[in-house]
Amino acid sequence: MDKKTEATQKVSLFIPRSYLTTEGNKTGSWRFLRPRYEEKTAPCSVSCPAAEDIGMIQMLTTQGSFKDAWETILRENPFPGVCGRVCFHPCEGVCNRAEFDEAVAIHVIERFLANTAHRNAFTPEVERLAPKKQNIAVIGAGPGGLSAAYFLALLGYKVDVFEGAGEPGGVLRWGIPSYRLPLAILKEEIRRIEEIGVRIQTGKPLVHRDLDTLGKEYNALFLACGHGRSMALGIPGEELEGVQDGLSFLRGIREGRMSKFSGRVAVIGGGNAAIDVARSIIRLGGKALIIYRRRRQDMPAFGEEIEMALDEGVELRELRAPVSIRKAGGNLALEVRSMKIVGTDTDGRAHIEPEEGKPEEIKISHLVAAIGERAEEPWYEPPDEGTGVLHLSHCVMAHKPGGTLVYGGDLTNGIKSVAHAVASGKEAALALDSFFTEGIESVQPRLAACRAGAGPALSMEIYTQGPRSDRSTHVVTYDEINADYFQFDPRVKQPRLLREERSRTFGEVSLKISANLAIRETERCFNCGLCNQCDNCYLFCPDLAVKKDSEALGRHIDYDYCKGCGICAVECPRNALILEEEDYEEGH
Amino acid sequence: MKKVIEGSQAVAEAVRLARVNIISAYPITPQTHIVERLSDFCSDGSLDARFLKVESEHSALAALIGAASSGVRTFTATSSQGLALMHELLHWTSGARLPIVMAEVNRALGPGWNIWTDQTDSLAQRDTGWIQLYCEDGQETLDTTIQAFLLAEMVNLPVMVVLDAFFLSHTYEPVDIPEQEAVDRFLPPFTPRFQLDTNNPCAFGSLVTPDSYMEMRHSIAEGMEAALDLLPEIEDRFAGIFDRRWAAIEPVECDDAEIILVTSGTVTSTCRELISDLRKRGEKVGLLKIKLFRPFPVEAIRRILAPAKKVAVIDRNFSFGASGIFAQEIRAALCNCPGHPPVFGFIAGLGGRDVTKDVLEGIYRQTDQSDRPEREDIWIGLKEVHDAAERS
Repeated sequence: MDKKTEATQKVSLFIPRSYLTTEGNKTGSWRFLRPRYEEKTAPCSVSCPAAEDIGMIQMLTTQGSFKDAWETILRENPFPGVCGRVCFHPCEGVCNRAEFDEAVAIHVIERFLANTAHRNAFTPEVERLAPKKQNIAVIGAGPGGLSAAYFLALLGYKVDVFEGAGEPGGVLRWGIPSYRLPLAILKEEIRRIEEIGVRIQTGKPLVHRDLDTLGKEYNALFLACGHGRSMALGIPGEELEGVQDGLSFLRGIREGRMSKFSGRVAVIGGGNAAIDVARSIIRLGGKALIIYRRRRQDMPAFGEEIEMALDEGVELRELRAPVSIRKAGGNLALEVRSMKIVGTDTDGRAHIEPEEGKPEEIKISHLVAAIGERAEEPWYEPPDEGTGVLHLSHCVMAHKPGGTLVYGGDLTNGIKSVAHAVASGKEAALALDSFFTEGIESVQPRLAACRAGAGPALSMEIYTQGPRSDRSTHVVTYDEINADYFQFDPRVKQPRLLREERSRTFGEVSLKISANLAIRETERCFNCGLCNQCDNCYLFCPDLAVKKDSEALGRHIDYDYCKGCGICAVECPRNALILEEEDYEEGH
Repeated sequence: MKKVIEGSQAVAEAVRLARVNIISAYPITPQTHIVERLSDFCSDGSLDARFLKVESEHSALAALIGAASSGVRTFTATSSQGLALMHELLHWTSGARLPIVMAEVNRALGPGWNIWTDQTDSLAQRDTGWIQLYCEDGQETLDTTIQAFLLAEMVNLPVMVVLDAFFLSHTYEPVDIPEQEAVDRFLPPFTPRFQLDTNNPCAFGSLVTPDSYMEMRHSIAEGMEAALDLLPEIEDRFAGIFDRRWAAIEPVECDDAEIILVTSGTVTSTCRELISDLRKRGEKVGLLKIKLFRPFPVEAIRRILAPAKKVAVIDRNFSFGASGIFAQEIRAALCNCPGHPPVFGFIAGLGGRDVTKDVLEGIYRQTDQSDRPEREDIWIGLKEVHDAAERS
């Protein structure tokens, strides 16, 4: 060893070695492109009428933060349990993941989170603003009215809800059957709205002149009375025994007044109510036959609902219109006329005309007409025009010296869905808050400033300047996702009751999924535009210019050393970084 | 303890006995058995080393450059295209004065795609500043690999231990595997003369101006020269413990030889038999085995070859547009000796073609019967071929 050391010392060893730190070489001065963390807007959150922060909800679920995820829904929608079940989930239709393999099962996750909150009896911690002096009366305790009350209460207002029926919920309570929406779920979500201070007075049907009285007691009114009355068929025999309208039929089931059916029941109509009626008839032991004057693809009912109905044994007769009903022995005879397609309507649906020839007769035991609904009273309807009438995206605001009245819910929404009703209630709440705090002129600009992406959905969190308001309104496209970081993985299958069981019970059709499955499903989410701290930027930066810190995203870029190579922006799987040209002034 | 093992296993055993800390390699035939065996050693605990899996030979050597800079003992093995891919970092290793040891299994370069032995891959790296040692059999391979670590660490230069594909790498022979304790006595733990140290941060390999670059190159040259002097000392030390000796060059029957054949690698063993046969028939023929190619032992070679009448160099390699590479080096070594013998350059055995005793005897006869070489390169056993490019 000594020998080795001795010999080694003789050998020349002249090498470059520097004790100067390379920190003096501020490579940031080479930069002509500047990366910047900028979270963006996911397409799902834009298409959700309630503007739920879906990308964030999926991310929190992936992290196992189920309560945070649930509260993130509650920030924008008081009804996760309801919407996780009955929403037609337009979010999934625009999911960028669909271009990769299949859309994320967002509604399944929403339902999972609501179930988890229910099972663990979570108490939500959702931000509430300081109390304000104004009070507001909400007329109608359907999803629109309750949502308005909820958001107004979060914004600090005192809210009283007046409901004509004996229980709150509106269409959720009386219209949607329990196999789609169990009562316990609805009751719990309404209870939570009451817990934040909303008073609901039931069994208080109002008449038109009550508006004046309320107008004096309250600073503003929100009117969301919905569609309480079915439209008449307008054909002979409509008054016969065994013929009834869809809303009464569904209400009867919810009130527990419905007995067993036998034989064939005709259901006239193609909307969600018609489907609910037909599926209920199957459960009551009858055979349901839907008669629709156009084709299946023209039906306003949600596609998934139609599919489930047919799966459960509902028959569908397309291009048939009812002509008359008459008694035939102990039964009824329904005459239907064939319709033919002549071109396309402006809404893209088939334009139809009656065919020549003799009508066809169908033997039935009962008939339920569910061809559409309308307001029960004319004064429920919003005014079309006039001074002080403001048409908002989901509401109509009538601002007059005598008082401010906002109309919402189904009567002001193009699409009649629970999520749209929530949107309408939220918009009314935000519009009234803008009005009370900054005046009527501020309503439209302030609403415009809190839309998710280009709108029309409005975000409460953006309105209240929460963290989400820092995001860019740019809506992330699939091209902007670095799909190399994702692996093909099939979408979770919503477990359902067996078809045989479904026809015997009003028990819920959709079954719960495990937390494991939920996490696996949310891992599929691209979290478009959101940083999930994957650290790709940190790992790939050749200049170690991505520094960790305690800021919101947990990191920042050290521009002294960032050369602007753009690797971070390219390797970001989710487009949470943006690369911009440096704006060097002349002579720099 | 003697065991019948492959040349590849001999390398792996030596690396285990040398207590290497970091191994990084990318598999390539015919080197694979070396790294497979080492990976087994790492996983079964018989060698306490990290085996770094990498995506290319370039990365394998880059990883070792980092590891060696931190002052630990390092090893890699490669072959042919893999060595070619390392080229840039071969220069870096010597420039950075890192004592990395590599086993290089001589394999032909493609195309035509060929996995058999050919020295052109390693000889093409002769100017990269690596010490090169060409081995003849399994025992020499094992011993040389152990010695390589000591040599590399003494002169702060990388060492390439070179062995023929298949003829050595995949051939089973009895090999004496020394005891760990004895190897530990021969090869002490690595004491780096410089290393990365977080308590005393510095950067290696930074910008060097024309003011100092030449001196740095000269320092490497001095390291190479030192290796020439130190190798015999290492051999003495090795022989003292293991009772075996190898040498930079080995003359066989050269004292009165009129014709001396020059070989390297496994061809040497075949040639030994030929020399023995020819001597029995009274032919004045000798053999010079060259083991150390870099640094090239010019003085020692001159002493052996200058008195001969003719020199025949057998090259299992070729430098296109010139000649066999050993022949070039031998000519260069002799050219300043007045009245030096003519040097015949024979090209044989490229791409794994067998170099038999008959082939070598043919070379000897041709040398004996010619006064001077007609060409700088004489290709042995070429067959007539037809141009394949124009086949319709």
